[in-house]
Amino acid sequence: MSWRDEKLVVDWRKVAKAPGGEEIYELFIGPQHPASGHMRFIVRLEGDIIVDVEPDIGYVHRTMEKLAEGREYIKNIPLFERATIIDSNNITLGYVRALEKLLDVEPPPRARYLRTILSEINRIQSHLYGIGIAGIMLNHSTVFMWAFGDREIWMQLAEELTGARLTHTYSIPGGVRRDLPDGFEERFEKAARYMLRRLEDYGKIFLYNPMIRSRYEGVGVLKKHEAERLGAVGPNLRASGVRYDARLLGDYGAYSELEFEVPVQEEGDSFARMVQRVEEIKVSIEIIRQALKKMPDGPILAEKYLKLLPPKLRERVLKTGRVKFPAIFANLRPPPGETVARVEMARGEVFYHIVSDGSPKPYRVRIVTPSFRNLVLLRLLPREHRFMDLLAIYGSLDYFPPESDR
Amino acid sequence: MWELIDVIIRLLLSPPVFAPLIYPGLVTVLIILVSLIWLGRKIAAKVQLRYGPYYIAKRLGGAPQLIADAIRFMFQEVIVPRTADKIPYLLAPALAMTLGLVPVVFIPVAPGFAGIVTSYSLPLALALSSLLPITVILMAWSANNKFTIQGGVREAFMVIAYEIPLFVAALSMGLAYGTLSLEEIVEKQVLVPGAVLNPLAAFVFYVSMLMSAGKLPFDIVEGEQEIVAGPFTEYSGILYGLVMGASYAQLYVLSMIFTEVFLAGWHPFIGSLGALYLPLGGLALFVKAYLVLAFSVFLRSVYGRYRLDYALRIGWERLFPLSVLALFLSLGLRVVGVV
Repeated sequence: MSWRDEKLVVDWRKVAKAPGGEEIYELFIGPQHPASGHMRFIVRLEGDIIVDVEPDIGYVHRTMEKLAEGREYIKNIPLFERATIIDSNNITLGYVRALEKLLDVEPPPRARYLRTILSEINRIQSHLYGIGIAGIMLNHSTVFMWAFGDREIWMQLAEELTGARLTHTYSIPGGVRRDLPDGFEERFEKAARYMLRRLEDYGKIFLYNPMIRSRYEGVGVLKKHEAERLGAVGPNLRASGVRYDARLLGDYGAYSELEFEVPVQEEGDSFARMVQRVEEIKVSIEIIRQALKKMPDGPILAEKYLKLLPPKLRERVLKTGRVKFPAIFANLRPPPGETVARVEMARGEVFYHIVSDGSPKPYRVRIVTPSFRNLVLLRLLPREHRFMDLLAIYGSLDYFPPESDR
Repeated sequence: MWELIDVIIRLLLSPPVFAPLIYPGLVTVLIILVSLIWLGRKIAAKVQLRYGPYYIAKRLGGAPQLIADAIRFMFQEVIVPRTADKIPYLLAPALAMTLGLVPVVFIPVAPGFAGIVTSYSLPLALALSSLLPITVILMAWSANNKFTIQGGVREAFMVIAYEIPLFVAALSMGLAYGTLSLEEIVEKQVLVPGAVLNPLAAFVFYVSMLMSAGKLPFDIVEGEQEIVAGPFTEYSGILYGLVMGASYAQLYVLSMIFTEVFLAGWHPFIGSLGALYLPLGGLALFVKAYLVLAFSVFLRSVYGRYRLDYALRIGWERLFPLSVLALFLSLGLRVVGVV
């Protein structure tokens, strides 16, 4: 199938009327706008019907790929996590996995479990963020406040685990930075119970509120074959009935050893996408619960790097569970070559391609972020809908401009 | 000297001056404006697990916050866009506030106490309050901005969708009671309030009233997430304050009418206070109207915003037939002789 069929191609006969024409009303929404985010929509309306939406991105482009070429490998981890600061372990995990493949080092089992736990915590709080933003786009301020408030619990858990609320820099080549703190299981259980109860509340006041359903149901339908053709990723893809999730590939984290079901919706409309996020939060809680139960004992950094530490320091690292970086980390020199890695972020699959020329800095790092891949939906889905549906669709897609612009 | 003061006090307390200026007029509207916005924010904060206004006078729960806001509005620079049509742009907010306030002269607050006593007070008050949307469209057009024009068009669509059910619902009560005077309508509700007699009309009136004042779930005209602030996008400073005040004034006027037509107005009338000064006896009216207002602002923590076409469908396909049904219900009550 080609890109040039029915809906995706702009009907230029219609748009051509725009300059000076009377039929098309052109609105520039953003970047200074209450709901546009760091981007601009050029919306063309015919009456109240959207003829065309042109997402104009790039307002928060930070040249991350270029910056990465000027830094040592290890310093790129804190750089990349700033692309999606609300989902920082997931976005850096892809980079770390690719780097590990280049360096030919595998993290010990305990480290894989810890990475999984933080990834899922990130996923939960990122979905809460998405639900909140989607709520305020329909001017539902209550779910906005609730979701952002409840996100705090997961940020605190992440802080206990890593020492930072958002910029965790937790996964490092060959392991993780810190071991599980004491009493984490109980605090997680408390948070999980609270969250599941709160999700019911969200359903009552927001998602299953007839008023909100009238905004979401049947709006912005993404059909299964279109989702596949356009390369949509993440919850937006799964809400259209495609069971694809990079976690199922099982080549990172502890996912291959855990039992979980990836939820899928069939309808593919905005409502299904919102329900999908709620369901994924539940699954993520289940994954963390299992991971905590099955977590093996052992070191949290690969033997290869542990033995580079001076004996006294190594003992301390093993005792306190806080990794001191071996000196080699400042100058990691992977052999020349290329690797790729893919990791399921909250918004979908992130893809890394690293090219190494044997120097301490990467020759090239390519990141394909999920928001960037979902961007095409912002163009396709609102067409032929009412103007007010644009925000319902935008909210339900959970598009995150800084992630897309990198 | 004392005679002069006496004359002034008499003049102030006489209905034609007291009603438009103090109660239910200007001063009351200002008090409502300041207290209701604060209350709305506090209620929403309570639902949303926040504090709401807090830091200005913590002991009072941040109550003076709105006074601070009002002062800020007063001294903020008023920006007039270069491309705006200046005279209507500057006049429309003042006109909106005026038209929002004028209907209070027809609203009696105690038996026989109104700015202008007439036996057609119900349709007159409603008709005056229905003039407000014209000023909104004027604002939208004169600001000459794409977002404001979108908002103005939305207002124009909405007006027809809610005004007709609103009028039919109110007039069906007039039919039921056989009078169009608010005072007489209140006096006939000593035993059974209108909302019990004709709940259909009460429901239609209340929902249309929310649409009219642009409160959630019908804040479509303002539509922050789509069109910034709708017709009010370009306004700043005191002009924006007036515009915002006008919508609250309209909500206040309509909830006063709602209270008088459906919630038995000033009954139970407090005779001892009424003997002191007539409007004081009608305290119940103010309390009820305030509760109606508080409920209306509470709705924003439950609902989001309806889509424009959906709201229009609510107006035309639900509210309008319901209001006609309410009319027949009133007719039936009249024929059976309940009232």
